[in-house]
Amino acid sequence: MMTTEELHESLHHVPSDLEQIPIVWRYELLKHLRSKRLLASIALVFVVLVPINFLPPALDVPYSGTTENEAVAFLEPEDMAGIAGAGIPEFGSIALLDKSAIDLDSLEVFLGGVPFDDEDGAAWFTLRMTYQGASAYALIFTSNVTAADVTVSYEWFTAPDEFAGIFLGFGAIIVIICATFFGADALVSEFQNRTGYLIFPNPIKKPMIYIGKFAASMTASIAVLLLLYGGVAILSMFNARGIDDDLGLSFLFAVEYLVAVMAIAYLISALLKGTTGATVLTFLLFLLILPIIDGVAMFTETKVEGSLTFSGDVVSYILLDPYPVDWAYETAGFEFTFYYPDPATSALVIAAYAFIAVLLGAFLFNRKQLVG
Amino acid sequence: MIEIERLVKEFGDIKAVDDLTIDVPAKRTVGFLGPNGAGKTTTIKILTNLIASTGGRALINGVDVMTAPKEALAHTGAVVETPEFYPYLTPVETLAYLGRLRGMSSSEINRRSNDVLAQVKMVEWKKTRIGKFSKGMKQRLAIAQALLHEPEVLILDEPTSGLDPRGMVEVREIIKGLKKQDYTIFMSSHLLGEVQEICDSAALINRGKLLVYDSIDNLKALTKTSKIEVTSAGEIPKSAFDRIGQLTDVSSVDAVNSHTMLVTFAGAVEARADLLLAIQGEGLKVTGFSPVGLPLEMMYMDLVKESR
Repeated sequence: MMTTEELHESLHHVPSDLEQIPIVWRYELLKHLRSKRLLASIALVFVVLVPINFLPPALDVPYSGTTENEAVAFLEPEDMAGIAGAGIPEFGSIALLDKSAIDLDSLEVFLGGVPFDDEDGAAWFTLRMTYQGASAYALIFTSNVTAADVTVSYEWFTAPDEFAGIFLGFGAIIVIICATFFGADALVSEFQNRTGYLIFPNPIKKPMIYIGKFAASMTASIAVLLLLYGGVAILSMFNARGIDDDLGLSFLFAVEYLVAVMAIAYLISALLKGTTGATVLTFLLFLLILPIIDGVAMFTETKVEGSLTFSGDVVSYILLDPYPVDWAYETAGFEFTFYYPDPATSALVIAAYAFIAVLLGAFLFNRKQLVG
Repeated sequence: MIEIERLVKEFGDIKAVDDLTIDVPAKRTVGFLGPNGAGKTTTIKILTNLIASTGGRALINGVDVMTAPKEALAHTGAVVETPEFYPYLTPVETLAYLGRLRGMSSSEINRRSNDVLAQVKMVEWKKTRIGKFSKGMKQRLAIAQALLHEPEVLILDEPTSGLDPRGMVEVREIIKGLKKQDYTIFMSSHLLGEVQEICDSAALINRGKLLVYDSIDNLKALTKTSKIEVTSAGEIPKSAFDRIGQLTDVSSVDAVNSHTMLVTFAGAVEARADLLLAIQGEGLKVTGFSPVGLPLEMMYMDLVKESR
């Protein structure tokens, strides 16, 4: 038997476990960079960005514009009660301007075709109202002008949070597709494609291969996410006159969600024997099976805070300001409740899934043998 | 050196390797023989950390592969079955990947990559992505990667598998060259001629159990039967088959064609001369009398038959 010194000497030039991780990462990343899957993922990002950005304006539903001499619609007295309770002093009449963001400097009010000065808020003022992510402006007159011919002119645009929210509603799907493309067959392919015969007889521990591969899958996926978020940020600058403050936070949630989904994809990859099965199961699990469970739970008025896909919705909801709260409505004798994931709880739930799935996946991969 | 001590591998109720003990001394080339399903590849997979054993130990340079695989495989090169390569990499990139994992410097990797690719005659393909390679090309590359880091120990599982006849000869020449450079080589093969040509010793297993492990010369001496092809100038009468079949040490006589027969004979060299005389005594004008097949092959067939 070798002594400890001899053993150490025999290993004098084999890199340490930690040094081997970037080597695996580098060549795995090369795989992703040279694969059609990366191109497909990038194409998918453009499939999200391009139609959402260009199709509505092409169909005459632009993200910004100018409204000129638009007759305002006043609220009925009973509809005004809720707004009056919001701490507003006594007033005469309220009109709604159904736009998510208005350039208030450009707002002009006309009474019978004559400019109606706000008199520093003494005649009229505006109030931005938000409910469940949708915004509108209340034009509040301190006197009753409902009998008069009131028109308005203003420049409007889509608020940055709403604009980004339209795109990032697809953020969770992009995460799932990235995990499917870059992670679902990462481990199982070493066994099914027999490349394990090449890599495993080398002086490297399987958990280091796992970490290197995982890091490469994450790198490729984060690059795709960066493209999506970068694209949204650029388009938002043009169409929403700015970038939402919470876009960075949404990106961090997306990356955290990606870690968890990728970890489960790797777990499936360590469990199954075939690349096709692992890929299909990962895809269906996140895009069909878990969302169905979430939907059924919501139908039975159960808030499934422990669900990964439910928690993953925080990626787009976090953009909304204020953050939406659970609400219910009744129709045809049924009461439906819309639940929203709590950001702090979601962060913990996603982290827990990621942690457990990484440990379990690495353990199973380490134990998996190249038989057959 | 390689030490396999009372190694056991069970797949459910099946014992693929059964209490196997083999020592491969340093700087020796040992062949590992056995029929399909004998446990050769399973043993090699355990040695190369591809599967775990159920019992026993496998040590390379005194280090247990099961408990310290990284250390045990540090100075080992292996070709197990015909490995697949990452199709998106070229041979040069593949060798760089594996070389880096083993701690080789860039200059060392460049130098050795050129050497081993030249050795396996793959230089002209060195920058072509492996996805386009044939099985034979992959087998050559597999040998190249095993030699890249100039390991002390080489474990080869049917190294000429998938190669055309010319490729087989070339790979055998490579292994012979390595043998001269004092590598410790443990190679499985079902090509007995290959083992007889290359190895110093051979271990024969069947059903996971070691049947015999000795030097090639000693194994040849163990050969109990030989087959002798006898050719006659005229047609061999049917009655001659029966009479020759009854001669001492003759176990069977089979017709190859009307002028040729194959005699299975268990006698020593001197008895073979007596057999020739006896056949001529049957009135046959013998124009050919030559043993066919390799001694190792005969030994292999005898032992495998006995172990069943």
